[in-house]
Amino acid sequence: MSRGKSGRPTRPSGEAFWWALFSAGGVMAAIFVPAFILATGFLLPSGDPAAAAEGAQRLAALAGWWPVKLVLLGVITLSLFHCAHRIRHTLMDLGMRNLAGFLKLPCYGGALAGTVWLALVLWGI
Amino acid sequence: MAETKTITLELFRYHPETDSEPRFQSYEVPYDEDWVVLDAINWIKDYVDGSVTHRWSCRMGVCGSCGMMVNGEPKLTCAAFLKNYYPFPIKVEPLVNFPVERDLVVDMEGFMDKLQDVKPYIIRDDVNDTSEGEYLQTPAELAQYKQYSMCINCMLCYSACPVVGHEDDFLGPAALALGHRYNKDSRDQGQSERLEVMLRSEAMWGCTFVGECTVVCPKHVDPAGAIQQAKAMGAQEYFKRFVMPKGAGATKGAGA
Amino acid sequence: MSGGQYHRPHRRAWFMERPAYIRFMIREVTSFFMAAYLIVLIVTLAKVGVGEAAAAEWLQALSTTGWKVAHAVALAATVWHTITFFAAVPQAMPIYIGEDRLPAPIAKIVMGYGPWLTATAVILWGVLR
Ligand code: SF4
Ligand code: FES
Repeated sequence: MSRGKSGRPTRPSGEAFWWALFSAGGVMAAIFVPAFILATGFLLPSGDPAAAAEGAQRLAALAGWWPVKLVLLGVITLSLFHCAHRIRHTLMDLGMRNLAGFLKLPCYGGALAGTVWLALVLWGI
Repeated sequence: MAETKTITLELFRYHPETDSEPRFQSYEVPYDEDWVVLDAINWIKDYVDGSVTHRWSCRMGVCGSCGMMVNGEPKLTCAAFLKNYYPFPIKVEPLVNFPVERDLVVDMEGFMDKLQDVKPYIIRDDVNDTSEGEYLQTPAELAQYKQYSMCINCMLCYSACPVVGHEDDFLGPAALALGHRYNKDSRDQGQSERLEVMLRSEAMWGCTFVGECTVVCPKHVDPAGAIQQAKAMGAQEYFKRFVMPKGAGATKGAGA
Repeated sequence: MSGGQYHRPHRRAWFMERPAYIRFMIREVTSFFMAAYLIVLIVTLAKVGVGEAAAAEWLQALSTTGWKVAHAVALAATVWHTITFFAAVPQAMPIYIGEDRLPAPIAKIVMGYGPWLTATAVILWGVLR
C-alpha cells in the first residue's frame, strides 16, 4: 500500500469496525470482569459439596434471569473481541506484521466462535 | 575550579562519502553548569572538529530542529542540560526511526510527506468573501484544539514510537495530532476528507497506545490522546458511511 | 557501500529497550489472561446449562489450589487492565466545561472508578445475598 499524496482517494479499511469493538469491550472488561472473577473464581467455588451445590443454585438462579443473561452476553462478547484485537496487535507489534491480515482469522474468528457458543449456552439456561 | 572540569561527549559519526558504517567519536568538552548538550556540540564544531554535522537554530525550544537521541532518549538538545548527566559521558545519536543523512542529521522527507497527508490546513466548502470578515471562534471552541496546535515538528515523538519503527504506513504521532487539530477546529469543514486518509488500514489504526510520544513531547501536545480521540471520530465516520454510503447526500469533501 | 543514507538495523527486541515499553507489553499481555478466563467463564455457564449437579461438581473442581492460583493471576491481570484503561480515559475522552477541561483525577472517578466500584458492588451483592 503506497502512501498517497494529498487528495488521492484511498480505501478506508475495516479496522475502524474492529477498533470500535475493541474499545467498547475494553470498557466492559474494565468495569465488569474483575467482579466476575471474584464471583466465579473465589466466592462460588467450594471444596465442600453442600456449599458447592448452594453456589451452583445461586449461579443458576442468577444466570436464568434474562436481564443477567443480556449483561453476560454483552460483557463477555465485547470483552472477547477486545482480547482478540489486542492479542492480534500484540503479535503484530512483536514482529508478525506481515501476518496482519491472516491473524484476523484466528483472533476475530475465535471471538466470534466464543460469541456463538455463549449465545447457545445462555439460550439453554 | 570550574575551568578544570570536563565532560565526555560520544558523538555518532557517519559521513556517507567515506563511511560504510557509523562510528562513535569521543570529545572532551569543558563542563559548564549552564550548558546544554547543544552548546557542547557547538563547542566541538567550533574548536575541535568542524566536520561534525548537526541541525539547530533557535536554542530555545521553539524551532524544533535540534532533536537527537541523548543517552538513548529523544531530546531537544537545546533543553538537555549537561548538569543532568555530569560526570558521566553523554552519548549523542541522530533520532531513531529515521534514515541518517550525515552524523546527527536525519532525513525528514518521509515525515514531511506524512504531515501533508493529513491536510493540515483549514478546508471550507463555502469560502466567505473577505468583506464578510473573519470566521469567528469562541474561547471554548479554541480550547478544543489549542493543545494540538502547539507542535514544533521536532519529531521526538517519532523516535519514541515503536510503531513508527516497524510500520511504514503509520502516519505517526505528530501528523495524526495535527490532523486531529484541524478536525477539531470549529472553522474547518474538511473532517471527512481528512478521515478518508486516517481511516486507511495502518495509517492510524497501527497505533497501539504505547503512549511514549506524549511522554517525550516537549510541547505537551499529547499526541497519544489526540490519536485516541481521532480513532473514536474515525469509527463514527466509518459507521456513518456504512449506514449512508458515499454519494447519498454527501455534501462534504465529495469532490476532489 | 558508501554514499547513501544509513538505515539502522530493524530492532526485533524493541520492547526490551525502555521500561515504558515493558510496561506497555505487560498491559497488552493482560488480554491473554482475560481471554483464558472468559473461556473458563463460558464453561462455567455451560455447566449451569447442563444442570445444577454438573455445575456443583464443576464449582467443586474450581476450588482446588491450581484453579485458585489461575484465577488469582487472571484477577491481577484484569485489575491491571482496568487501572491502565481508566488511566487513558482523560486523554481519550476529554470533557470540556466551557474553556476548561475536567481535571484528570475527576474524569477518572466519574467515568472509571465510580462505575467500576458500583458495578462490582452490585455483582457481589447479587452473588452473596
Ligand atoms: S507532537 Fe510533540 S514531540 Fe511530536 S513533533 Fe510535535 S512537538 Fe515534537
Ligand atoms: S534549537 Fe530550536 S528547538 Fe532546540
